[in-house]
Amino acid sequence: MDILTTIIQNLANGLLIGGVYALIGVGLSLIFGVMRVINFAHGDFVVIGMYSALVIYRQLSLDPYLSLLIALPLGFLLGLVLERIILSPLVDAPEDSTLLATLGLALILQNTLLLIFGAEPNSLYVSYATATIKLGPITLSLIQLIAGAVILVVIIGLYLFLTRSEAGKAVRATAQNRLGAELIGINTLAIHSLVFGFGMVLAIAAGIILIPQLFATPAITGPVFTLKAFVVTVLGGLGNIWGAIGGGLLLGVVEVLGASYISNSYRDAYGLVAFLLVLLLRPEGLFGKTVKRV
Amino acid sequence: MSKFTGLAIFLAVGILFPLLLPGYLSLAITLLLFASWASAWDVLGGWAGQSSLGHAAFVGLGAYTIALSATRFDLAPWWAVLIGMGLAAALAWAWGSLTFGLRGPYFTLSTIAVAEILRLIAINERWLTGGAQGIFIFSLREPFGLDLFDRQTQYYLALAYTVIVIRIIIGFAKGKFGYQMRAVREDEASAQAAGINPTRVKLQAFMISGALTALGGAIYGVFLSFLEPHDIFFLPLSVQIALTAIIGGRGTIWGPTIGAVLLVFSAELFRNIFAQANLLIYGVLILVVILFMPRGLMGQLEHRIIRRRYARSTRS
Repeated sequence: MDILTTIIQNLANGLLIGGVYALIGVGLSLIFGVMRVINFAHGDFVVIGMYSALVIYRQLSLDPYLSLLIALPLGFLLGLVLERIILSPLVDAPEDSTLLATLGLALILQNTLLLIFGAEPNSLYVSYATATIKLGPITLSLIQLIAGAVILVVIIGLYLFLTRSEAGKAVRATAQNRLGAELIGINTLAIHSLVFGFGMVLAIAAGIILIPQLFATPAITGPVFTLKAFVVTVLGGLGNIWGAIGGGLLLGVVEVLGASYISNSYRDAYGLVAFLLVLLLRPEGLFGKTVKRV
Repeated sequence: MSKFTGLAIFLAVGILFPLLLPGYLSLAITLLLFASWASAWDVLGGWAGQSSLGHAAFVGLGAYTIALSATRFDLAPWWAVLIGMGLAAALAWAWGSLTFGLRGPYFTLSTIAVAEILRLIAINERWLTGGAQGIFIFSLREPFGLDLFDRQTQYYLALAYTVIVIRIIIGFAKGKFGYQMRAVREDEASAQAAGINPTRVKLQAFMISGALTALGGAIYGVFLSFLEPHDIFFLPLSVQIALTAIIGGRGTIWGPTIGAVLLVFSAELFRNIFAQANLLIYGVLILVVILFMPRGLMGQLEHRIIRRRYARSTRS
């Protein structure tokens, strides 16, 4: 009984962490699916979210979850602008070029944050940070539950946007066939900007709900989350948005179970090994239907 | 002008440098190491067209091999260097056999994962690597009476290393293997139709690239004489090596060296302003290069010279 409770507890923790990974991975997968860009700056977008929550908290003493309302629209604009300046000139360039351009963007963002905020770790303390909720034998942390709720809202919102709205249909059309979408009158360049803005919004949301739970440093936290986002999207299939949700939850569970039952010091390695295995054995992702080899 | 004129001038300047500017030896060693790493990276990344973001793994392998064989096994450094290069070639072979089924960006992503796993091993396997605290090289045998901890000796070793790497790449520019690599880079299917085995060519390029990088890693290990897995295996070093080559110009003989001169000097110039944020300059330059001169500095220059020569030849 005791063993069973620990396993359920671990699964619950894994799913809650995995939800954040899913949110980050969905953005990366959306950007790849529509724009064919592997975004090396994605983890740094998460860090931008973390630091925007910090700045808003320090300047306006606003609760981090309320700062979502300010940070998300601003992040969307930032995403639009960055796409216009850096990625839209490269729309017909080989995939290698956009990868390197986002890598350059990542270095610029990391080091700018480093110059502004310094290298010491930062976190945001909320008064209810240690509050927990008991569900029978398992204990869940309140901030992780809030994070889970935010993730659900954001992902359902994205789902409704992509399936119900005219703009969402244009996004999916662009992802399926850019030339075809242009032929029926869709401005695919505008769609690219929109999608990059959305990717930024998802990453910033993830950063804001994470900052009460961990310490962030500009140049280290970014690459860590970029790697996690790659792992998540490859598990789910690159460009497969709903697969990324499964990939995120899976990574969270694998990390927590691996850390408690195998070895905590290799926590980051489990995801990477899974990533390599999927890339080599099933490059279409665990949930993909297509059999096209990459 | 023979194809070795450039290399001869480089060697002459290199030999005279410590006599003219003895105060800048450490900077010069860093520059030579980055020039050679970027050139070695370019064998795989530029000539064979497979961008790796995991070359820090080879630097780490070379450095750790010499450190461990000196401190644990009391092995002479020249054997350690050979073992390190052999291990690097073996690693490249295994790594490439697994991942060369993947193309373009997917290969790049897999290299990051492999290098990160090696870093985690270096941090966690304390019995082998000294763990996260790192490892000291406190004594080395003296080959031919040379003190390897002397900065000047290290400088000449680094210079010899750079000359060897560039000499090998000059060989590729006109040699059969160089043409095979370029054919694979441009179009694997056509290369195959011409009787080239693309996987074998890529594997050989990867093994050469890895072994040469590990050789530099061994010199770097002695130069630092204190190895920390966080520094030496970490993604930023891989990124620096790759970006140095790309900014200088992929698939050219002198491009990676020019990239190294530009980047090492600007990092030195801005050291006081940017302090830890020294990778900012890499970010800015790679964006400028990707957006405005996709062939890199040297590539763009060569391209322009060839076009001008062609225009002149048609006029007369």
